[in-house]
Amino acid sequence: MDLSALSEALASESYERIADICDDLMLKVAAEGVAFQDEWPYAIHLLGHFYVDDINSARFLWKSIPVSVKENRQELVAVWKIGQRLWTRDYAGVHEAINGFDWSQDTKIVVTAFSELYTKRMFQLLLSAYSTISIQDTARFLGMSEDDATNYVSRHGWIVDHASRMLTVKKQPLVAEQKLDPDKLQRLTEYVFHLEH
Amino acid sequence: MNTVESLVTQIQGLSGNSSDLSALHNYLKQAEESLRSELSRLLPFLHQLDPSVHSLGYLYILEACTSSPVWGDQRDMIVSTTARFITFCAAEQIRMAPDLFINVCKRFKEQVMLLEAPIRGVAPLLAATRKVQLNSEHLTPLHPDFLQLCLLAKCYKAGISILEDDIFEVDQPRDFFLYCYYGGTICIGQKRFQKALELLHNVVTAPMSTINAIAVEAYKKYVLVSLIQYGQFSTSLPKYTSSAAQRNLKNFCQPYIELAMSYSSGKISELESFVQTNREKFESDKNLGLVKQVVSSMYKRNIQRLTQTYLTLSLQDIANTVQLSSSKEAEMHVLQMIQDGQIHATINQKDGMVRFLEDPEQYKTCEMIERIDSSIQRILSSVELSLKIINYHKEKPFRCYIWAKYN
Repeated sequence: MDLSALSEALASESYERIADICDDLMLKVAAEGVAFQDEWPYAIHLLGHFYVDDINSARFLWKSIPVSVKENRQELVAVWKIGQRLWTRDYAGVHEAINGFDWSQDTKIVVTAFSELYTKRMFQLLLSAYSTISIQDTARFLGMSEDDATNYVSRHGWIVDHASRMLTVKKQPLVAEQKLDPDKLQRLTEYVFHLEH
Repeated sequence: MNTVESLVTQIQGLSGNSSDLSALHNYLKQAEESLRSELSRLLPFLHQLDPSVHSLGYLYILEACTSSPVWGDQRDMIVSTTARFITFCAAEQIRMAPDLFINVCKRFKEQVMLLEAPIRGVAPLLAATRKVQLNSEHLTPLHPDFLQLCLLAKCYKAGISILEDDIFEVDQPRDFFLYCYYGGTICIGQKRFQKALELLHNVVTAPMSTINAIAVEAYKKYVLVSLIQYGQFSTSLPKYTSSAAQRNLKNFCQPYIELAMSYSSGKISELESFVQTNREKFESDKNLGLVKQVVSSMYKRNIQRLTQTYLTLSLQDIANTVQLSSSKEAEMHVLQMIQDGQIHATINQKDGMVRFLEDPEQYKTCEMIERIDSSIQRILSSVELSLKIINYHKEKPFRCYIWAKYN
């Protein structure tokens, strides 16, 4: 079983490529008739799906894993615990599942990368959904202590009200790419011209 | 006399260029009979051939090998050999004998299913579909087989790749029904409800002289997905739908029609008790998971309705109106909907209020212009295609059907 493409992606920290690489490799070795299930890096494969926010594919992968494999790999079960929390949108529970297992060295690298990305995603979600939010909830969403969470959001300009233990969210102006391909504009102009005549 | 030995020599000698290949093809057609009489000793000869170079000859011998039933260890070997052949064969050679190639692939699919290893067939059948396909608009008899294996192997993502093509050329109506049904099921699994609706709609409205089981099952899922995606379901079908479907579908799907009626009342408790009483029916149809998604979509639908009436509303009021147990639960629902882009709102935890906002999209970013442009391109190309269909469609009812759909 040649997993060099996966090793290479891991070495270059291209975690967003893990899911596609693993999907392709798995279909390839399966077609060659290799009994891959016992040695397949399911934990990394699942994390790869989490990383690109494809919880549906992660769930189907989990369902396809033979029971015997699930029974023998504690770490794999622990990874899927993260998946279950993602599936049910138990935002704080995701951090608990990440911190609730002593990961092996190889898995830890990917778990850590996912954890950092997930914290960023959660911060963006809070930013888009709240105008004010309690310090306690913020800490749970970001998976940090209350002090760390307060520091983290203060750096982004949020205002702390210590008396009420509330944070006022500082909205960031959306920076949208405005550089336009003139060909596209030309084409749209032609459509409109065509419709009006 | 055509001995297998001399045949192999011919194959090795005549696989180089197209004139050699057509000579070889004639030779192979004549040898087909004698190949079948020597079934038992054919398999070892394949080792003398290279699937990527001698594809046409390899195909004839492999087709003969797989024409009789296989058992035990032989099955595993045939599956491996066929998988390798499909992966490496030259498309232009196997297209000289597409029917044989399709036979080989269909038997291969049956074998991986008998081995209870559908995943072994996913990559080879995708390759096979692409190789036998004349263009991306052509639905081959292998499309439904590929999608069925994706479903059985739970490789839904792999199935998505061929569902993105627009199909305009159909050989067999049954292939089209199955392709759309399996495709719809895959899209439901990946929560691509819009695309799922499109595919299921195709099954329901396609020409049929009598009602068929695929259309009935598709209609059930069509009702449910409509409710999830649009919050409503209309029983009237477009004019071009066959009269068999118009008359009969509803009668075969009564609980689903009633579910849609219950949904339209907007009362969550009513809907839940309806689902409870009909649970077994939905379960035996294997639609219970989808029915549960319909139920939870009603909370969202009811919250969405509030945004049309109010500018601000307290979380407690939302919880009361949509029958959630606490303001915290209401907050989580609103949060999920914001995350999914289903509403635009901000939550003010300090005051326990939600402010509903206008869609911030101003239709002036590059990304939006890209999207508009690609939509227009897509519409223009399908108009062009529908003009072509008139000329090259084989089956008349399907020609008229696709014509009606895209105009």
